[in-house]
Amino acid sequence: MSVSIDHSSAPDEVLVRAAQRGDMRAFEELVARHRDKLYARAFSMVRNEDEAIDLSQEAWVKGWQRLKQFQGESSFVTWMTRIVINLCLDRLRKQKRSHAESIEQLDEEVGGVERQMPVVTIDPTEGLTREEQRQRIDQAMNQLSYAHRTVLILHEFEGLEYKEIAQRMGCSIGTIMSRLFYARRRLAVLLADLRESRTP
Amino acid sequence: MSDDTSLKVQAWLDGELVPSEAAALGRVVAGDPQAQALAAELRRTKSALAVGELPRVLPESREFYWSRIERAMRETESRPEAAPESSRVASLFRWFAPAALAAGLAALVALPLLQKRGGGGWGNGAEIESPLEDISSFTFRSEADRMTVVWINAR
Repeated sequence: MSVSIDHSSAPDEVLVRAAQRGDMRAFEELVARHRDKLYARAFSMVRNEDEAIDLSQEAWVKGWQRLKQFQGESSFVTWMTRIVINLCLDRLRKQKRSHAESIEQLDEEVGGVERQMPVVTIDPTEGLTREEQRQRIDQAMNQLSYAHRTVLILHEFEGLEYKEIAQRMGCSIGTIMSRLFYARRRLAVLLADLRESRTP
Repeated sequence: MSDDTSLKVQAWLDGELVPSEAAALGRVVAGDPQAQALAAELRRTKSALAVGELPRVLPESREFYWSRIERAMRETESRPEAAPESSRVASLFRWFAPAALAAGLAALVALPLLQKRGGGGWGNGAEIESPLEDISSFTFRSEADRMTVVWINAR
């Protein structure tokens, strides 16, 4: 017997169960609810609007195909976010393979540059509103290489541990620690620069 | 401060060290002003990031965005799954193995007869290979031993 549900007001769990039974309308409602979040995650990683839209749509299609595997260990949106992250990592890996790495990037990879950076002693976001802080962080993140930006996103915004990041990015924990260290130190410098350039 | 210590300071702040290592590192930081400065910088960056990311809104209407997803979902559902290579070979084998076996047995029976009629035929130790792509049979005839052997292989 099919159960009629009010899609717009039903909680995610109910919609997921309905979608698992093949209810496309329930899945459409889930897409409508969480599409901005998935798009935002894809954009933060690939930094390109069209690619982020494509990747987020691809993630929804994959989510639909694998929906029966979703057992509710995490929230539905967390599960979907992991799918879009994996797709972004795959895309970035392919792009990386096709582009020659610059000397500077290679130096960053092995973690040589950050040793020479002096410690930033000021608080670069002091006195800023939340919105201004986010703007500046976004600008600074934009200047990081994909490897460093990704490791920061996965650790700081997705809350993944070193081990999980290493598994997802296909490298050692040592490399993740080194990349994260560089990314944070570089971000501190970039935020300090942004503060100086805006201060009258 | 060594590179290793720098990375450990970070791991300490991230809660990635086991309690004994964390306690040892805490003592190192307490006695090293350089390590304290580095820890302070890393903490500030971490707390700056804690405000979260800039919110972003998908620049497409709900209907348009969904229409592409829905189309792709329907396409993937209607597309029959491609059979793996091994199952295709197995399926070919199911069809051709009996035929190859029958051909081999026929050759086994017919060859001595042909030999008698034609006089010449195969020489001693003659070999014939099958030209079939996925199933190969290999026939060996020894006049001296008055024997024909047929091998059938599925590749």
